[in-house]
Amino acid sequence: MNAPFLLALGALVGFISGLFGIGGGFLMAPVLVFMGIPPAVAVASQANHVVASSTSSVLTYSKAGSVDYRMGGVMALGGAVGALFGVELFRILRLLGQADLVVAVSYLLLLGSIGALTLKESLTTILARRRGEPTRREPTRRPLWLYGLPFRMRFPRSGLYISAIPPLALGVFAGILSAIMGVGGGFILVPAMVYVLRMRAAVVVGTSLFQILITTAVTTVLQAGRNQTVDIVLSTLLMVGGVLGAQYGAKASARFRADEMRAALGLLILLVGLQMGLSLFLRPDDPFALAPGGGG
Amino acid sequence: MMVPPPPPPEPPALVQPAPEPPGPVVVVQTPSISAALTDTEIEVDSSYAGAALVLYGAVFNPGDDPVDVVLVVRGPERPVRLIRKVRVAGLWLNSRPVVFEGAPAFYVMASTRPLSEIAGFGVLRRMGVGLDHIRIDAPDEQRTVNLYGVRDVVISRLGDDYLDWRRAVIRLKERDGLYRADPSGVRFVDPGLFRAEIVLPPEAPTGEYQTEVWLFQNGEAISVRRNTIQVRRVGVERWIHDFAFLQPWLYGLVSVLLACFTGWTASRWFRRS
Repeated sequence: MNAPFLLALGALVGFISGLFGIGGGFLMAPVLVFMGIPPAVAVASQANHVVASSTSSVLTYSKAGSVDYRMGGVMALGGAVGALFGVELFRILRLLGQADLVVAVSYLLLLGSIGALTLKESLTTILARRRGEPTRREPTRRPLWLYGLPFRMRFPRSGLYISAIPPLALGVFAGILSAIMGVGGGFILVPAMVYVLRMRAAVVVGTSLFQILITTAVTTVLQAGRNQTVDIVLSTLLMVGGVLGAQYGAKASARFRADEMRAALGLLILLVGLQMGLSLFLRPDDPFALAPGGGG
Repeated sequence: MMVPPPPPPEPPALVQPAPEPPGPVVVVQTPSISAALTDTEIEVDSSYAGAALVLYGAVFNPGDDPVDVVLVVRGPERPVRLIRKVRVAGLWLNSRPVVFEGAPAFYVMASTRPLSEIAGFGVLRRMGVGLDHIRIDAPDEQRTVNLYGVRDVVISRLGDDYLDWRRAVIRLKERDGLYRADPSGVRFVDPGLFRAEIVLPPEAPTGEYQTEVWLFQNGEAISVRRNTIQVRRVGVERWIHDFAFLQPWLYGLVSVLLACFTGWTASRWFRRS
């Protein structure tokens, strides 16, 4: 494998993730697969890359006091359960020869819809600003069902007193995604924490990164222990490039407007989702493909 | 006057089988072959990017009939699992995996001429020489097996689409550089002296490789030399591989700690500068 290329790839993806404040896992996995690395190895090794980049970000957010460890801990507990389930599911899918298919469908559905929503929402904001209209405030009422559930907990930093079930369920979902797609799941956690849980905006990103850190760490250990699909050399090269790129990306992000950044991010997510999903609709070059588990 | 030295012992390559005792002694000189490899051990380390070996050898041909040399290298036997993409409601989905229970993980054939000019179909099939004649295990009956907790179909040699699957194995392995046929890969550099190059791609698995160098004359194989090549991991590469497969949980834990450490170092380093 080409070491300088992997370092550069890590740096590029790190720069983009620093720029947009995302984990960048959803970008890395498709590129690695495109390079010919088996999807299972790509997904597992880059989960470890996400551990490195989120450690560095969590430390930064923690200094600023914007991590709700209580909320993050509940979500991470769900994340660990989800990862356990997801890794086992992925193992079976891989042996069935269906892993690439499930990865493609997940990317298409999740990234496609979230990318489209983000793009639409931010374009509306940009257009409103250009026309000089006042920005429309989202209603701040939380969905009522959040209060009907048992096991309520206080989350002082998030300014919440809600049931532990929604954050736990959100964590389980992110854990499954982390195992199957190799992503941290920030692209789905952040909107859910903002629009469903209605957490205080200041702690959303730091808390989601904390949950991502724990979940991807659990995923890495499980993937290595159960599937032997973690390539330590590959993930180290990616993460060294990645953490460097992320720092520069974070610095560069101060130069752009927030809504324009969100539009660009939405477009990026949408494109990656469509690109990954394309394989479902195109006639394959060769109707046959080798499945893993054959040795060799 | 110098005393002439005693005649040297005959080199082993030229030892002929003892002639039959009865009847007049006629030494029938059949062509023979000898060959050797530049390397018989390939070490895979962290900078391994494949290997190239040279096979060289000599043909002793007392007659007038032309001879041909065919080289075959086979990697260790492994099962092969395949899926087929099928179109369902406009989407390309994967079929259930189909298994061949044993196929060489690596196969290279090199010859002096196209195989069809060297020997007939039956001879080549019996010897398993050439991409069309690789021995890939397939039982007579289709059955299902449980592999890794997943039900697989073992392909049957008598099934309708057996040939499609078999060709697919060869085509996919060829695409990965693991199967190759080169009808001009063995070259005579001098009458009686030949050489061939064997390229092992980095994807070629570790293990024991068998080489066969066949001498053909008039459509029949008349002599063969066999050798083995060992491909094995050494150094850091071996250490990491053993670690990942023998102590996978600890390996995962170390990977995570390494990642946390990298992240922590980066955040500290950038805060100072």
